[in-house]
Formats: sequence, structure tokens, C-alpha cells
Amino acid sequence: MGVILEVKNLTKKFSGLTAVNDFSFEIKRGEFVGLIGPNGAGKTTIFNLISGFERPSSGKITFNGKDITNMKPFKIVNLGIARTFQIVRAFKFMTLLDNIKVSCLSTRGKELAKQYGIDESASSILAAVGLVDKARIPPVILPHGDLRKLQIGKALGTNPQLLLLDEPFSGLSHEEQQGITELIKKLHDDGVTVFMTGHVLRELMHLVPRVIAMNQGKYITEGPPQEVANNKIVLEAYLGKGSEQLA
Amino acid sequence: MTKQIERISNEIKEFPKYLKDWAKTFKGGLTVLCLIGLFLMPLVTTSPYFLGIFILAMIYSIYAASWDFLAGFVGKVSFGQAIFFGLSGYITAASLKFIHYPWWGALIFGSLFAALVGLIIGLITLRLKGPYLALGTMVIAIILQKLFALYELKPILWGDEGISGIPPLSTNAIEVYYVILIFMIISFIVMIKLTKINIGIIFRSIRDDETGSDASGINTVKYKVIAFMISSIFAGIAGGLFAMFNRAVNPLIFQALYSFYPIVMAALGGIATISGAALGAFIFVFLGEIVRDLADPLFIFSIVLILIIRFASEGILKSALERLKEFWDILIGR
Repeated sequence: MGVILEVKNLTKKFSGLTAVNDFSFEIKRGEFVGLIGPNGAGKTTIFNLISGFERPSSGKITFNGKDITNMKPFKIVNLGIARTFQIVRAFKFMTLLDNIKVSCLSTRGKELAKQYGIDESASSILAAVGLVDKARIPPVILPHGDLRKLQIGKALGTNPQLLLLDEPFSGLSHEEQQGITELIKKLHDDGVTVFMTGHVLRELMHLVPRVIAMNQGKYITEGPPQEVANNKIVLEAYLGKGSEQLA
Repeated sequence: MTKQIERISNEIKEFPKYLKDWAKTFKGGLTVLCLIGLFLMPLVTTSPYFLGIFILAMIYSIYAASWDFLAGFVGKVSFGQAIFFGLSGYITAASLKFIHYPWWGALIFGSLFAALVGLIIGLITLRLKGPYLALGTMVIAIILQKLFALYELKPILWGDEGISGIPPLSTNAIEVYYVILIFMIISFIVMIKLTKINIGIIFRSIRDDETGSDASGINTVKYKVIAFMISSIFAGIAGGLFAMFNRAVNPLIFQALYSFYPIVMAALGGIATISGAALGAFIFVFLGEIVRDLADPLFIFSIVLILIIRFASEGILKSALERLKEFWDILIGR
């Protein structure tokens, strides 16, 4: 169980605002970790920094012992970090199968697909996320829950070792959340390291054995969800000062 | 490797059957009919004037399809397609007249040069998006027009008279007609095929969501430049044929009008269809000939374009095909 992702003293400044401030943490191979914090805490920025969509002002990110700071997003994906977005992104005018095929056509995805062919691997991924009966339709007419599944499918196409899920539950009904939970659990059982965010604690509580809490770009604490949820500073961040009596 | 060869040989073996099945479908049958019509055209008329109209329409078809490929399938709207059209025209003309290449050699040389320019322009306009890309390509075309017309550069760029008296492709109009028809068919097959194979899926993903494509592990920079090169090769083929057909080329070939022509034609036929570009080009050229004496063709086309944007924003190919299919279904009693 080696360390798969190591983030050290990560800082990101947007003209005057420090979105991420001297943030450090580690994720071990095969772990299932959550990142929590109130809205605007900087969770998405951390994901953007890890996946290369934004460049850190300072700090270092290491994946599998390799320095990936300042690397281009597609290169990071091809090393084995795939991500999903908080706001759903899909190739609107292409069929679901083609949506997945794009990931299968990346350098890393191709290696996985070599054995069975691009079409077959894309269909098998669609089946894994439960969308195989909708393979021939474009995502514009899909309900939101299916789009979340599609996003995970697109990430899976690149054969990731580490999966970054940005708010996979946002905007979903309870039943849809259940479906996604099952899916994520299954992926984790298959050996993918999962790192996900969520601003509502309840969803993450049942799912992850370890959470990292942050507020205003700063690291607060980490540990089992129950412990973190009772942390004074975490409660303060969510509910404001003097709230421990309420909780 | 052997697997690939086996697959390709299999595909070749299957091809006649595939062609037969395709010709039986509605779309395929219609295409075959149109092609037969084009092939038999010289039997109907041998007048160089009428054949000339068809030749011009076919050259513009390739040109419009090259724009449609870039705009409709990669999402890169260029307002400077005349860059590739014109430069290839110049190179083809110069190598025909001064180096005495055979016409096909000059054409290959011109198109490859256009591809090289496509590579360079793809690289410099890489970070431009939407209207800025359109502006950037338009400005490059204007710079080229002024540069080629510059008096001081006349010894190397032939000044504003350009190159004239280019040896013709052939003195026989029918031969020219068939050569250009074959070029058109090959160009369309290649472009349509490119949009359907794996690389076409990558292109379309860049069109729909560039960031998402990046997140799927696609080297978007590489594929955008490849797309620019493919588009410029075909614009270059059209430009070279155009210069040979006119037997002259001058700096006006870079003017904004020649960049707008393919856009108008593609929009007429339907963007992101490739074959719509051919329909648009034929309508454009025919209508242009008809209204020539009445008014400025561009004036008429502006009005037609406004009508199309208002009433058939997907172009006329799609709606025409649908109507025709309904009619066809009624005829055969479905």
C-alpha cells in the first residue's frame, strides 16, 4: 500500500484571493477518501490543480512518485488520473457510445482497449455504468442522473488508477444518488483509488472511511467521518461560531 | 501488423457488397443517381460554357467541404479559408508556368504547400477561440492579399497582376470536366470517411467540448493542428484546380469574398454534413449564373442566406432529403 498521490504545500492565488493555502495531504493506493468543506472552500480548485486544469502558484503534486505539477491535463490523464466535473460536461451532439469512445482513444485508453477493440471496450464501460440501452442516443436528452453516470463512464474509458469525483451527487434525487453510490463502491472494489468531494456531509459519511476537511483554502483536519464531523473547527466552518451547542 | 493487413484486405473484399447495400439505401441511391448524372453530363452538352459552370461548381464543392470539415466537425470557424485556396493557387500556377511541372505535379505541390501553411496557421491560432479565431484567420488573409499586391515585392510575388497565361489542364473541356469530377469524388469520400472513423470522433469531441476532450486524455493541440492540415489540403486542391481552370491567379484570390464563399455554400447546404457543401456549391454557382444580369450575385445570396438562417437553419440538404423521402415513401406505397 504505497502512496499514490502526494500533495505538498499547495497554494493557488487568484489575483488577491488565496483559493488554496499551503495545503498538504496524502492518498494511499486503493484508498477511498472524501474531501469536505462548505461552498467556496476550494475543493474544486484542488481538483483542478491535481488534474492540471489550473497551475499552482507554489507547491508540489506527486503521482506514483512522479512530479506532475504544471503538467498538461491530457498528460496527467494518460498517467492514470481521471476526473469528473461538478457541472456535467458531455459531448452534446455525439452518441453515448462515441462519448465513451473518445476516452478509449486516448493513449492510455487505447492500451486497455487493444485486446478487445475500441467499440467493445466502450460498450462494456457503458454496460458497467448502466447506460448500455441508451448507447445510440446523444446526451442532450438524458436526465441528470444518467449524465452523472456518463461522466464516470468517460473517466473510466481512460483506465484510471486514481479517480477524482467532483460533487458526484449534486443535483440528484435520492434514488439517483443510490445508483451512483453503488457504482462508485463497485469501482473501488475493483481496485480504483477514489477521491471525491461533497459539501453535504451526510452523503459522504456512509461511503468513505476517511475524510479531509478544509475551509477557506486551508487544511483543517482529517480522519474517520464521525470524528471529523464532531470537530469543533469543522462545525464552525459549516454552521458559524458558537454552533457546538446546537450540534 | 498482419492483423491490420488482414482487416484491410477483408474490408476490400467486402467493399462491392457494401457498395451494393449502400446504393440500395435512400441516401446512397440518391448519391449514386447524382453521380451518374454528373458522369453523363458531357453527353447532354459539350458546350465549354455549360461544362465550365459545372467545373466551377465542383471546384467550389471541394472548397466548401474543406471549410465545413473544419467548422462543422472540429468547431473551428475560419474566416480565412482563402489563405489556403489562394496560396495553393499561386504555387500551382507558378510551378506550372515557371518550372513546367505536369498539372498533377503542380497540384500536389500546391496542396502540400497549403498543408504546410495549415500546420503553421493551426499552430499560431491554436489558443484563439470562437470569434477571435475567425478574426485571426481573416486578418492573415488580408495581410496576404496586401503582401502579394505590394509593388515593392513584384519581382518575387508578381505584384497585383498576378500570374496569367498558365498552361491549361487540358485543351479539351470534357477531359478537364472528368478530371475535376474525379478529384471531387475522391475528396468527398476521403473527407466523409475521416469524419466517421476514430479520428473523426476525436474531432467531434473537440467541437462539442474542448476541455472535456482534454479531460478524456486527448491531446487537443495535436488533433486541432491535424484538422487544420486536412482542411487546408482540400482547400489547396480546390485552389490549385481553380487557378488552372481560370488560367490566371492574382492577389484578389485572398480577398474576404473568397473566404465567405465556402461559408455561404456550406450554410446553404447544411453545416456539418460535408455532402451539403456540394449541394450548396452547385446551387450557389447555378443561381449566381442565373441572377448575374439582374443584380450583384452577392446581394442575392445575402438575402438567400438570411432566409435560410430564418427558415432552415440546418441547411436545405436535410429538409430537402426529408421531403424527398416522404415523397418517395408515398410513391412506393409505404
